[in-house]
Amino acid sequence: MRISKGALLVVVAFLVPFVVEFRTALSWFGIKLSILESLALGGVLVIGLLLWAVWPEDGNGGTGAAGSS
Amino acid sequence: MRNAYLDQFPDEARVIKAAFWSSFIALAIGGVLGLVQALHRTDVFRFIQSPDYYTVLTAHGVLLVIVFTIFFLVGTFTWAVTTSLDRGVVDTRFTWAWYIMMVIGAALAGITIFSGFLESAPSILGSELNADVLFTFYAPLEAHPFFYIGLVVFVVGSWLAGVDWFRTWLAWRRENPDERIPLPTFMVLTTTLFWYICTLGVSLSILVFLLPWSLGITESVNPLLTRTMFWYFGHAVVYFWLMPAYLMWYTMLPKFSGGKLFSDPLARVVFVLFLLLSTPLGIHHQYLDPGIAEGYKFIAMTNTMFLLLPSLLTAFTVVASMEHGARQRGGEGYLGWLKALPWRDPIFTGMALAGLMFAAAGFSGMINAGMNINYLVHNTWWVVGHFHLTVGTAVALTFMAASYWFIPQLTGKELWNRSVALGQVVLWFIGMTFMTNAMHRSGLFGLPRRTAEPQYQGFDFEPAVGTVGEINMQVALGAVILTLSLALFLLNMVMTSIGSNSESIPDNTYADTLSGAEDSPRILDNLKLWTAIAVVLVIIAYTLPLASIIDAGGLFGPDIEGFRLSTWVDPAVIESLSEVIR
Repeated sequence: MRISKGALLVVVAFLVPFVVEFRTALSWFGIKLSILESLALGGVLVIGLLLWAVWPEDGNGGTGAAGSS
Repeated sequence: MRNAYLDQFPDEARVIKAAFWSSFIALAIGGVLGLVQALHRTDVFRFIQSPDYYTVLTAHGVLLVIVFTIFFLVGTFTWAVTTSLDRGVVDTRFTWAWYIMMVIGAALAGITIFSGFLESAPSILGSELNADVLFTFYAPLEAHPFFYIGLVVFVVGSWLAGVDWFRTWLAWRRENPDERIPLPTFMVLTTTLFWYICTLGVSLSILVFLLPWSLGITESVNPLLTRTMFWYFGHAVVYFWLMPAYLMWYTMLPKFSGGKLFSDPLARVVFVLFLLLSTPLGIHHQYLDPGIAEGYKFIAMTNTMFLLLPSLLTAFTVVASMEHGARQRGGEGYLGWLKALPWRDPIFTGMALAGLMFAAAGFSGMINAGMNINYLVHNTWWVVGHFHLTVGTAVALTFMAASYWFIPQLTGKELWNRSVALGQVVLWFIGMTFMTNAMHRSGLFGLPRRTAEPQYQGFDFEPAVGTVGEINMQVALGAVILTLSLALFLLNMVMTSIGSNSESIPDNTYADTLSGAEDSPRILDNLKLWTAIAVVLVIIAYTLPLASIIDAGGLFGPDIEGFRLSTWVDPAVIESLSEVIR
């Protein structure tokens, strides 16, 4: 993994304020997301994040700094 | 051999444990009442009558922002003083005495509030036993005398706690005359000093005006005067809640990050600034009060903006300390070091998330502090969102995370479940994000605070994004997540406390420094000097506004003769001074 499980949990948690505020920010540009669309966006971001996190950093299963965290 | 706090100071550990459990009980009751409020106000689930909402609101406020925070504070400060001075308190009987006094005060105020739920509350001292006066208990709302007496007893208990810390420090100083004050003790003493200064206002307000009024001794009060005296205390108390969290961020977070505190001198400067500036700015809570001239409000706003400085210094110092810790753990790069922080540690993660939410609170606080923008959000849910980020997250989440360190130290038992603890702090962060975001947004379109029925008939609020229904659901969802998080916290505390003794409790230490006390000028430790300047600043900020308020409305109300300030001071003098300020 690229980051520790603890760090991954915290980053996933960070997506909550990001998605909530992103929805508000988009409205300034006339893009209005419904709740379902916001949930879908959040889901896509979480899946993308999980894929990034578990994808081997160097193709050989290297874990970088994650081990110590 | 184990060297936990319990092993070093077994007698003090018992008092601190009692103080923490008192705070947890207040947190449990107050937190559940928060859920009741959120579900009722948002009309998601109602099982109380709307008039009872104000009893719930009062209990929620008083239990959480007075009882929970201050009991936790006195426990933390006693730990900080004894640990950093490496000596016990002078007399633990005195320590127990102030703790018991605080319990009696909290119980008296609590019983009075909860009597409001009774269909027919008992009549004592000639009036019904209730106190639906909210946390901001100024006139014209009137409580039963027991509520005010309970608050006074509680506050006097906290004063005696301060005496206890000062006595312990003075005893240490006699043994170590040339030593600098250790940083944690310095933080405790400066905080205690501004607590004495600010509580003087609310104590006078209660003892001279509100209590005699509720007992029927005086006919009326000057509501603006009691409001001003409340807010003289009411903003400084915010920093009183916050200082134990700051103490943990400065002295423990660097250690949990794996490093050292970046700068001891900078930390001392921050606490001196809080001593100086916490009190002479309470009028910024009264921008909408018509009886106070704009000039006085402008001075309060300026003082408030100065207070951003210690908060920004803290953000810099704490983040620099965390980065140092992360680099000690192998972290590299401009931002890559963030990955090396101990995110699996609930103590670190809880405090870090609390600090982050406090940054958001600082931004909304700047909006509150600006006179012209404040008018837009003052009586709205925005303000409720703001203080749920400050006391509800920066303070409460730091306290909960710190408890995962303290309770094993005080009981000699290992934390029951670290994974549950990690999930708990993350859930708090998520729940508070949902709730406070919705509160802030609703404030922008004017949704009022302090009401059980925010939706007026024949009028529709117009959110910039989404609907009022969505906002309400977001608040309700946040409140449910927060309650779940609270339940997990309490479960962990109970299970830890009833667990078996462990020999693997970490040593009771706090963070070392990269730049220590020896790098700071000795004048920073001159508490008499800083206290004198703080008092002068308070006199400058409050003399004219108070004189003006008393002159306009009398001490006990405009129709009560014999107590008007003009009997002592020529009104022309007050008028001319007021003109200068205007």
